[in-house]
Amino acid sequence: MASLLELRDITKSYNDTQVLAIPHLVIKQGAVYGIMGPNGAGKSTLLSILAFLVSPTSGDLRWEGMDVNTLNKDVLRRKVTLIHQNPYLFDTTVRKNIVYGLKGRRMPKEKRDEKLLECLKLVGLRGFEERRARELSGGEVQRVAIARALALDPQVLLLDEPTANVDRHGIEQLETILKELNERSQITIIVATHDVNQVHRLSDEVIYLFNGRITAKPPLENLFKGRIVKKDKDLFLFDTGRIVVALPRERDSVSRIAIPPEDIIVSHKPISTSARNSFAGAIAQVTDEGDLVSLIVDIGERLRVTITKRSFREMQLNLGSPVYVTFKSSSIETF
Amino acid sequence: MEYLWEGIKEAIRLIVSLDQEVCRTVLLSLRISLTATFFASFVGIPLGFLISTYEFTLKRPIITVFNTLLSIPTVVVGLFLYSLLSKRGPLGPLDLLFTPPAMVIGQFILAIPIITALTISAIQMVDPRVKWTAMTLGAGPVRTALTVLSEARFALTGAVIAGFGRVIAEVGTAMMVGGNIKGYTRVMTTAIALETSKGEFAFALSLGFILLMVAFSVNVLFHYFQGKRG
Repeated sequence: MASLLELRDITKSYNDTQVLAIPHLVIKQGAVYGIMGPNGAGKSTLLSILAFLVSPTSGDLRWEGMDVNTLNKDVLRRKVTLIHQNPYLFDTTVRKNIVYGLKGRRMPKEKRDEKLLECLKLVGLRGFEERRARELSGGEVQRVAIARALALDPQVLLLDEPTANVDRHGIEQLETILKELNERSQITIIVATHDVNQVHRLSDEVIYLFNGRITAKPPLENLFKGRIVKKDKDLFLFDTGRIVVALPRERDSVSRIAIPPEDIIVSHKPISTSARNSFAGAIAQVTDEGDLVSLIVDIGERLRVTITKRSFREMQLNLGSPVYVTFKSSSIETF
Repeated sequence: MEYLWEGIKEAIRLIVSLDQEVCRTVLLSLRISLTATFFASFVGIPLGFLISTYEFTLKRPIITVFNTLLSIPTVVVGLFLYSLLSKRGPLGPLDLLFTPPAMVIGQFILAIPIITALTISAIQMVDPRVKWTAMTLGAGPVRTALTVLSEARFALTGAVIAGFGRVIAEVGTAMMVGGNIKGYTRVMTTAIALETSKGEFAFALSLGFILLMVAFSVNVLFHYFQGKRG
């Protein structure tokens, strides 16, 4: 496959803080990429650079082998379309949303209507032409946004967390649509996501981002900075500034800890176990990941916890539910 | 009490029988106020859009000035305009004093602050993603601006209605630069004020009823469009 985009020594800084540093990355024509990484890892910055919406601070960005600085940005932007996590649909009909970009290109009406039907068919929304954008579900909004982008015939489709506010059924539909699009039209697709399973279902290649850098392994989750504030004879106390966590006596100096999401137990009431760490909190976010459900529990820090769908149902958990989270000090990784 | 009752009965008769003088006064009121509102929207909406869209040094003070102008006394605008239009004033040669165009100018000045101030808040309420989305889809600056205005259309309609509501009900400016000339510059508010003092109670009362209905409809419409913006 031919190289479409090539990044070499790309960095991006905001107010002297470097948020992205990529030595080398090649995006090939017709492939599907997944970008994974925790919040603040630089996923959105990378997508904005790939969409030519943000210029890198330094480095060499090439489109089909040519330096993008020598090319017209407006022309490039038509070839690459970024769809945001919460795409905005204009407060009008689905039809007007989709033909919006075509009208700007002075396409004749018959051709516009033809394109409209073709794009709606691709996202499985035929017959939705006259529906009001405000009456659509989260998944339908994403699909209309994709159709609106496809109407412009882009070569690359970038999606930032496309399934964040979409129900299970909608997620499956979206994934199928993306796969079919890629197979049929050889369009290059780059999806930023939190969902480990989704990234493996969809992508030919996964890019793991952590602290603005590409890493070989999946990044650690629930990573907190802090310092040891108390040393007892059998355990250390680690303060992140918001919570105090008990650590095993392993190392004398620890500056970061990571708590694996699958090692955290969720309960309605405080439980008495040998586990040293138990915190009260509330569920701040729920994401359906197939057999598993990923929760963000706010205990002062936002902690990601994965539990099985069955326990999620049995415990009748919901957004805002007060819960306790418990984890053993020995499950914590220290750095 | 008898006097009041007779007045109400006569007022209703005047309205139901579509009395020529009542109709003429009401139609002139509507024509002057609608014209003034139309021109004020033409200036106030783009002005409000520019003020809320661009960042510049005097932005906050200018917004404060417009908010203050919302409560400017109508007679003060009348006085100011009178001094410009009177025979010895700088615009005296235009011979506009005590003509409908003078009243339109006065109401235009009154409506601009309210339409501008409400446009500023309407545009500030528009989702910042609108601009970004329009640009991603290849819209230039003008189309992007029109798209933002279109997304704010309900709130903007509310702004225009509020402007109309202010001018249809004002009496100060219309009196000072219009002069309540029967059949020429006599509008509902000036007629109510002057006919009452002349003892034409029923006539004034009938206009009062109609004005009240207009004000009521304006309010209903305003709240309808304000409710839709959510």
